[in-house]
Amino acid sequence: MTESGLKVLRLRAPFGTAPGLENISFEVAPGERLALVGASGAGKTTLLRAVAGLGPGAAERIEVAGREVGTLPAERRGVVYLQQTPLLFPHLTVGENVAFPLRVRGVRGSRVDAAVGEVMEALRLGGLAKRRPQSLSGGQRHRTALARAIVARPPVLLLDEPFASLDPVLRHEVREAVRVVQEAYRPALVLVTHDLDEAGALAARIGVLLDGRLAQVAPPSHLFTRPASLAVARFLRLPNSVPGTIRPDGSFDSVLGVLPLRAPAAPGPGVAFFSVDGVRIAPDGAIAARVVELRYRVQQTTVVVALGDVRLEVPLDGQGELSPGIEVRLAVHAGAISVFPAP
Amino acid sequence: MALGLLAVSAAAPFVLLALWSVGRDWFYPAVFPPKFTAESWRDLLSGERLLGATATSLVLGAGTGAFACIAGLPVGRSLARLTGWRRHAGAALAFLPVAAPPIALATGLQFSFLRLGLGGTLVGVLLAHAVPAIGYGSLYFLGVFAVFDSRIEEESRSLGATSRQTFFHVVLPLLRRPLADAFALGFLVSWSQVPLTLLVGGGPVRTLPIEVFSLVQSGQDRLAATGALLLLVPAIAALAATRLAASRTEVMAV
Repeated sequence: MTESGLKVLRLRAPFGTAPGLENISFEVAPGERLALVGASGAGKTTLLRAVAGLGPGAAERIEVAGREVGTLPAERRGVVYLQQTPLLFPHLTVGENVAFPLRVRGVRGSRVDAAVGEVMEALRLGGLAKRRPQSLSGGQRHRTALARAIVARPPVLLLDEPFASLDPVLRHEVREAVRVVQEAYRPALVLVTHDLDEAGALAARIGVLLDGRLAQVAPPSHLFTRPASLAVARFLRLPNSVPGTIRPDGSFDSVLGVLPLRAPAAPGPGVAFFSVDGVRIAPDGAIAARVVELRYRVQQTTVVVALGDVRLEVPLDGQGELSPGIEVRLAVHAGAISVFPAP
Repeated sequence: MALGLLAVSAAAPFVLLALWSVGRDWFYPAVFPPKFTAESWRDLLSGERLLGATATSLVLGAGTGAFACIAGLPVGRSLARLTGWRRHAGAALAFLPVAAPPIALATGLQFSFLRLGLGGTLVGVLLAHAVPAIGYGSLYFLGVFAVFDSRIEEESRSLGATSRQTFFHVVLPLLRRPLADAFALGFLVSWSQVPLTLLVGGGPVRTLPIEVFSLVQSGQDRLAATGALLLLVPAIAALAATRLAASRTEVMAV
């Protein structure tokens, strides 16, 4: 990464009675979207607030657009932190709210009007400038908060659970607004969420925060198929786990057969984790299994199959009519399976 | 029945005052005055005594209201940021001049103010009135800031506003109503103040309640009743303003 929108080096921050965040380092390029995921209380919000200068925390270096900002007050960092609930200023109109970051920077006249008009148009807020925030719908409030956050073109935008507690329609509306903002203004964007699907759909990379540490930062395709540790795999709640034995020759022996390991591991008991894509139903597959249940979903219907005591969830990809009790054959995609020593 | 009792007990003194202020040749056992006159109101408007006292009371009320806002806001805000015993101790300290009998407070202040050369001066009386008003103001703003969503200040700073800009462009506009309330509170504390004015102001500082007090003592009932009615005006105005404001209450944040 040659150009850096946000660079955080060895950040530490306390939170509550827990040990806090330790040794957090990551970079986000201008125009890039990084999602931070983690269980409740993992320190996601603490991390964002520390980077924004609104909460306790110290880092060896916090760089925004190449400038060290770690010791600067929040208003001089070039980092806008958006809270989960949009907090619009109720004494200002929508237009005045959006213009606020420009006004406090001393920008006046037609430059304000032009910048405000542009961002309001991009976020479909045209015609609402004179309205009071109290009269806006939920989606309009979120879009106004986004417009206000981006109007002064901050190099870094931090979004704290922007989709939490939104109904599906509003969630889609806000997600699209985030996309619009990011593509038009290209800030380095860090998004905190507890929804892995949301993270995968929106972010170029996902950082997993576990026990106060950044356990893994990777693109969704990589993270979901190659978790770096057993802890990450468990956090991702990959639907399939198969116990077996790690053999000295670097293979894993289980009901799936003998599979080569992607990375060396100590011989002994092991467990394989994989998503629904790790195994598929194939007429020429080497493994026999019995259909237990079909799980119908809007996005992807899956089939639960049994191999002895082990149950696996696999995709239903036009294999015709399947019903519980039917025998099927399974083929394994070894590259999508991660094996870890059993704890 | 209970409401009727309330209406009679609340309204009767003021109805009687109104009758006293315009009644003439009204002696026992007459239930109502046999004659009416606007003489005392004419005296009030033409004479310097009550008009001057009213002006002094207005100046003191406005000054005290300003003290309740200017000192009460930061004190209340600081108290709201405290937790545990510190907050309780701070609130108790603010409550002290409010809870203390006014005569005890006045006696204490009189001794100090005489030594400082403030006895018998308008400034001395203003400062004396400010003592309980700041207490009221601080407690009022403690309540305001206890429910004020401070995240809106963080939002402002994150958007690039300095602490000063945040205070003047975000916090202060949101506190317009509480500030008006605190000003009215301070004004009313001063407007009806007698012990502090008497002891600290001595004789030279003549406020409306002091004049009414002395008119009652000298038996000028009609003029005293007129002055007393005048004393009611700000209280009724404050009541009306509060009612009006409550009907169009603004939310702190959306």
